[in-house]
Amino acid sequence: MKRLVIILALVLSFMFAASIASAGKIEDVKAKGVLTCGVKDSVNLFGFIDADSKELVGFDIDICKYIASKLGVKTEFKVVTSKNRIPMLVQGSVDMVAATMTHKFSRDEQIDFSITYFMDGQKILVKKGSGIASAADLANKKVGTVKGSTSEKNIKNAQPKAHVISYDEYPQAFMALKQGKVKAVTTDSGILAGLKAGDDNPDKWEIAGEFIASEPYGLGLPQNDSAFRDFVNKCLNEMWLDGTYQKLFKKWMGYDLPEGWTIELWPM
Amino acid sequence: MEYNFQWAKMFSGEPAQWMWEGFNTTLQISAIALVGAMLLGIFICLMRMTPFKPLQWFALAYTEFFRNTPLLVQIFFWYNASHFVIPEGINEWMNDLYYWFPGPFAAFGHDFVGEWVLFNVELITGVIALTVYTSAFIAEEIRAGIFSIPKNQLEASRAVGLSFLQGYRYVILPQALRIVIPPLISQALNLIKNSSLCMVIGVTEMMFQATQIESYHAIPFEAFSVALMIYLAISLVVSFCITMYNKHFMIQVMY
Repeated sequence: MKRLVIILALVLSFMFAASIASAGKIEDVKAKGVLTCGVKDSVNLFGFIDADSKELVGFDIDICKYIASKLGVKTEFKVVTSKNRIPMLVQGSVDMVAATMTHKFSRDEQIDFSITYFMDGQKILVKKGSGIASAADLANKKVGTVKGSTSEKNIKNAQPKAHVISYDEYPQAFMALKQGKVKAVTTDSGILAGLKAGDDNPDKWEIAGEFIASEPYGLGLPQNDSAFRDFVNKCLNEMWLDGTYQKLFKKWMGYDLPEGWTIELWPM
Repeated sequence: MEYNFQWAKMFSGEPAQWMWEGFNTTLQISAIALVGAMLLGIFICLMRMTPFKPLQWFALAYTEFFRNTPLLVQIFFWYNASHFVIPEGINEWMNDLYYWFPGPFAAFGHDFVGEWVLFNVELITGVIALTVYTSAFIAEEIRAGIFSIPKNQLEASRAVGLSFLQGYRYVILPQALRIVIPPLISQALNLIKNSSLCMVIGVTEMMFQATQIESYHAIPFEAFSVALMIYLAISLVVSFCITMYNKHFMIQVMY
């Protein structure tokens, strides 16, 4: 009987100890000393492996490094896909997701987002001279896209007669385009520009059509953690104010920021 | 960490419709691939047993190659690498294939989801990869079954005047196939489960739909458990049917 009481007391104390340890994300990250970010590894310009140095580089990666330096910790990168980036954040495998993720209200039900850090739109990539100039020309043609992305849903709405084939990653969809298995690849125009630039003969492909949908990118953050979200928003504002954002944009996109577009700036 | 189970969300509207379409596609892939694998397996096994050496070597190479490489690699091989081997015209025709075919549930009338099943190059290459992969295993198992039949059966068939093919068709294979039914059930179940690998080339079968539901509707537990139950139900039904068939047609117990 006495042993039973001791064991019961130990079990209860462990349960209480476990429930107390739910501090905020900022304290967790500072205690660990590492900010784990979910990034893409096959999207040219945003998150990809540099051919020479064999390291993960890109616009999203530089943003994560900036935020981690503001926290005073190191960065650790985990590769995510469009399909598993939200589940990984919800489970806690990553602290933050910087993976060309569009801020949607339906996604807000599961996670929180930072302010928009990149404004993009959805377009289609076709072979030059194929005669496809917009989404309307895609009726009864096969279109490639990536599972779990906003582009998949938007192209079905924009052109219900198109046959949408969803692959795991953008390079696969692009290979299907090269082999003629799909007639167009549709996703955010920044990613399309990266695919086109990364090909052996970029002049064979062209980005066609109007913007099918707008894709504001946001950093994915854990649900209901206001302190962390406010901190990330503040970091993004600081990044803009001290000029780092403009420098990074020019470095990766190759052209200056479009006139008039700013990230949402709030006074300190 | 708490989790609210949303079964009502799973069984209505888009998730239910997607899951039903995925179920139909899985049945379609599995049925075609199973029939194809059985026929191809018997054919390869016969090639292995001929006295003609080059055919034997071909069957041996076929079996060893397709048994020892992963199915995922084979699926990508048929889908992407075949582009370089197949002539241009056939490639173009295949890539544009998008044909709806009345499916098994067509009897339920129009507007019933899953009434039509889709044939496109993704599905065809997935089915080919599955067929070839499973046929290599089935060929080996039938060969084991043939070896378990006493040699005097073959000699007696020769003595009576049957040729090689006739001997196998009327004497050996009926006995061998009855013996190897349990391993064949295993291979059939493996094929049904391996059909989920076709999702990497964009075939909208059940696992693909489960991951889509996870992405769009945020109910991963419900989606994956329903997929699990459906795979379990299909496998149990298939193995039950084959076992009943076996019991009904079993002529003698050899042990």
